Amino acid sequence: MTFPLVIKNLEKSIDDFHLSIPDLAIEEGTVTAVVGTNGAGKSTFFKMMMNLVKQDNGEIEVYGHSVRDVDDSWKQQIAYQAQTMIGCDAFTGEQLRNLMAELYPSWDEALFRRFSEKLNIPLNKKVQKLSPGVKTKLNLALNFGKNTSILMLDEPTAAMDIPSRNYFIQFLLELMEKGDRTVLIASHQADDIKKLADYLVFINKGRVSQLLEKDSLASSYRLFWLKEEPPVSRVPGEIKRTYKKVILSNQPDATMTYLSQNNLVIVDEQIPELEDIIQEILMEGEMVDV
Amino acid sequence: MNLPIRLSKSSREPIYHQIENQIKALIASGQLTTGDPLPSIRLLAKELEISSITIRRAYQNLEYSGFIQTSQGKGTFVAEVDPDMKTSMASQAVEDAILKAISTARQHELSNKEIIRMVETLLQKEDNQ
Repeated sequence: MTFPLVIKNLEKSIDDFHLSIPDLAIEEGTVTAVVGTNGAGKSTFFKMMMNLVKQDNGEIEVYGHSVRDVDDSWKQQIAYQAQTMIGCDAFTGEQLRNLMAELYPSWDEALFRRFSEKLNIPLNKKVQKLSPGVKTKLNLALNFGKNTSILMLDEPTAAMDIPSRNYFIQFLLELMEKGDRTVLIASHQADDIKKLADYLVFINKGRVSQLLEKDSLASSYRLFWLKEEPPVSRVPGEIKRTYKKVILSNQPDATMTYLSQNNLVIVDEQIPELEDIIQEILMEGEMVDV
Repeated sequence: MNLPIRLSKSSREPIYHQIENQIKALIASGQLTTGDPLPSIRLLAKELEISSITIRRAYQNLEYSGFIQTSQGKGTFVAEVDPDMKTSMASQAVEDAILKAISTARQHELSNKEIIRMVETLLQKEDNQ
């Protein structure tokens, strides 16, 4: 198994903000969603990966090369999309395309054209004249054109309309088919996460979770509808109770054992929606270990 | 191609297992026949909104037990399946459906007799149609 991105014991403090990542190895051919509330440190995390922000401690490796090395040829293997296009206002899409095609030896003209034509991106207009949504589309077209083995996308779909977002998902999945591309995506869109992600990483107040496989994470939670209200205020595994009889558990086995021992009847049960699990993790600050 | 796979969130059966069984059922019932293409792992993961790791696991198990075949660069296809296996798969599928109905009946506190009577009534109704 190849791990294009490896992080070891990373620490960074900016004023009173502290970000720490113990250990993270991103497997080739997978999509990892970076999930956190605003200001949780997602962008700082991405910038450190690109060596745009220097870590205080620890190591980041791209295909085995430290990003702090003098030789920075690893950069040609990553297409990084920041939340804003900085320094591009005075250029047209076509001019930026020329620049990128020269910087990235792997540039794929067909990919760039296909994406920009499908989304009707006006390539002869200056970037400053474009709406936020169209800027994002152009940014994506340029990053797809780079045809790199790693894509790091910081909220790529934020300002995009629904059809374009669906096309983006489809396009990205097609790129993933060969299995040698690796994607890190920060997103607040539940749909992106549900349709694209294999793994989730949570960033919560500067703390970064381990890599969590999406379906294992979901099935480590369970909602139980009970026939009667339980006699205790908290049954084993319970993290939330609604309508007195609906129990959300993060230890389903322990909850079920308790319920059957106490003759409490389960009327219905199911794996909760991913949104609800994300909500619990981000709002309660609960860090999961699966 | 879209596969008529419906995952149950309320089942305690692991998701990869649900996918495996439903694809087997589609093959057993003849809805999928030898040589039919299956969607790519990524595409099915997107459609079912689960991770590609889960789909890969289901496909690997199906391939191991001889239901599907993957050829490099061409994709995944339904394999030649033994007719006896299909028959036993079909009865398995019916059994599973009946078991599910029984568990619903139990939730409504129906007795065995009541369940049997209900099945008989439904069978008669079907025959009369």
